[in-house]
Amino acid sequence: MSAEKEEQRYPVVYAQGLSKWYKQVIGLNNFNLDIKPGITGIVGPNGSGKSTLFKIMLGMIRVNNGDIWVMGQRPWANPFLLEKMGFCPDYEYLPSETTGREFLRFVGGLHKMSGDVLESRIGEVTAIVGMLHALDRKMGGYSKGMKQRIKVAVSIIHNPQLVLLDEPLSGTDPLVRRDLVELIKRLNKEHGHDIIVSSHVLHDVEKMTRDVVLIYKGRAIASGSITEIRGLIDKHPHNIVIEGKGIGDLAKRLLDEKYVVSVGYNKDRTGILAQVSRPEEFFDDIAEIVATTECQVEKMCSLDDNLEAVFKYLVGGIG
Amino acid sequence: MNTVAVRTGLPAMIRHITRKMLLGKRIIIAGFIGLFIALILGYAGSQPYYYENPVDIGTDMMDLLILFFFMPIIAMIYGTSIVRDDIDDKSITPVVTSPIGRFPAYMGYYLSLAITLSIVMLGITSIGFVAFFGQTGGDGMGNLYVSMCGLVIIGSFAYSTLFLALSVALEKPMYMGLFYAFIWEGFIGSIPGSIGKLSIKYYLRSLGSEWIGHGSISRFRGIEGADAFLVLLLVAFIFLFIGGKLFEEKEIP
Repeated sequence: MSAEKEEQRYPVVYAQGLSKWYKQVIGLNNFNLDIKPGITGIVGPNGSGKSTLFKIMLGMIRVNNGDIWVMGQRPWANPFLLEKMGFCPDYEYLPSETTGREFLRFVGGLHKMSGDVLESRIGEVTAIVGMLHALDRKMGGYSKGMKQRIKVAVSIIHNPQLVLLDEPLSGTDPLVRRDLVELIKRLNKEHGHDIIVSSHVLHDVEKMTRDVVLIYKGRAIASGSITEIRGLIDKHPHNIVIEGKGIGDLAKRLLDEKYVVSVGYNKDRTGILAQVSRPEEFFDDIAEIVATTECQVEKMCSLDDNLEAVFKYLVGGIG
Repeated sequence: MNTVAVRTGLPAMIRHITRKMLLGKRIIIAGFIGLFIALILGYAGSQPYYYENPVDIGTDMMDLLILFFFMPIIAMIYGTSIVRDDIDDKSITPVVTSPIGRFPAYMGYYLSLAITLSIVMLGITSIGFVAFFGQTGGDGMGNLYVSMCGLVIIGSFAYSTLFLALSVALEKPMYMGLFYAFIWEGFIGSIPGSIGKLSIKYYLRSLGSEWIGHGSISRFRGIEGADAFLVLLLVAFIFLFIGGKLFEEKEIP
């Protein structure tokens, strides 16, 4: 994007020093945010404050400290702002005895839509999310993927400028995930919605956008292009567990490699924990290294597949 | 042009919430209460002794069972759960993320509750009426039916304001609701003297004493019917204002 265009981008959400706590529990802690139009991913482990942030943006809860502006307005007690916002929560809230069409009519009605305009919009949004075929079925019989789709349809029924999608891929199978990722990208590209999407899986968000905010324990610990954040993550030494017979031989051999930072045995000495600085090289070489030893590897896994470990590294021990 | 412009989302909200309540699990409880009333009044109506003065007897039984006892209980069952349940099961999300606004949304909940209660109470009243007077007949029973229906509608709108406010104000509104329905309305409201004026029932019976010419309610010494109506209106406004303000300030976690 050119510098001129970059300047034209206004903040969709801007927050400064935002804090929210629930009795003794901190939801957000001195949180700063500057989200531009387009798709922005909010990535953080469960309980990091993603949903709290969304609820603040929607005016469902108020902040204890700091300021937040959504599309230039403060969200608390501001129903007019909600005309321009759509929300797809991470929790289940669809009434099981109601059909998709009835529920969309209800939500459309809440947004002052009625008659032919509403009926035609229901047709449009269900076509966008690929749910036309199940519109007149009771939602209790929907699969997880269908529920996620109808929730997305609900969030865009009134054609909002900003759509907040809280963990839209959570609990879905890989096929549905792929479809939802494509749907979210289309919502921005073809339908012009600005989207803030949260996830605890960086990889999922990576498929949708380059703009990411990493949130951990209520703090925005990094934000910007995914490339920069990837760079930070790649500096993180990865912990890899290897188990098998003759593991001592392999441990000695691994220490010869430059990217292996340390090697230690587990308690019963049936496995080792290798800390490596360049995991890609390690995984490329490991088969060859094992072949040079008497070791029979039975199990190998990375302990850093979960985002939590990466965040702990990035924040350098916050909390 | 088929499109109807609506200025707020309230009609959609009221339709949805009312339908949800009328088709929800609580209607089963209301159904059992209706059945119970049908059995009691049906049995009473079948007794030859009562045929001598059926309208007086029928009025007293409907007053006791419906207005006096089950009206506040059913209002409590529906009223204390409406907002609280929606918060707990998250079904409140579309309402609080819509541009209706919190105070108008509270009014939407109130109207939904009052309409639901009116429908349920009219059903129960009709069942009881048919069960008794269907067997006994009696002069003036048409007027009695209309008056009873009027009282349960006013009662529904009045009790709704109170129990809805409790539903927003308290985490566990059912306990306070039980106290109010059974202890306050049922006991305190029956104590002779001024303390009775602190119950909704007092004003409903004051109204009823002017509308109904049979049974003990016709001899109830309350205040003027118009004054009673004004008091109920004032109480409703106060509770609606308090409840609406609480809902405006309420965080929806």
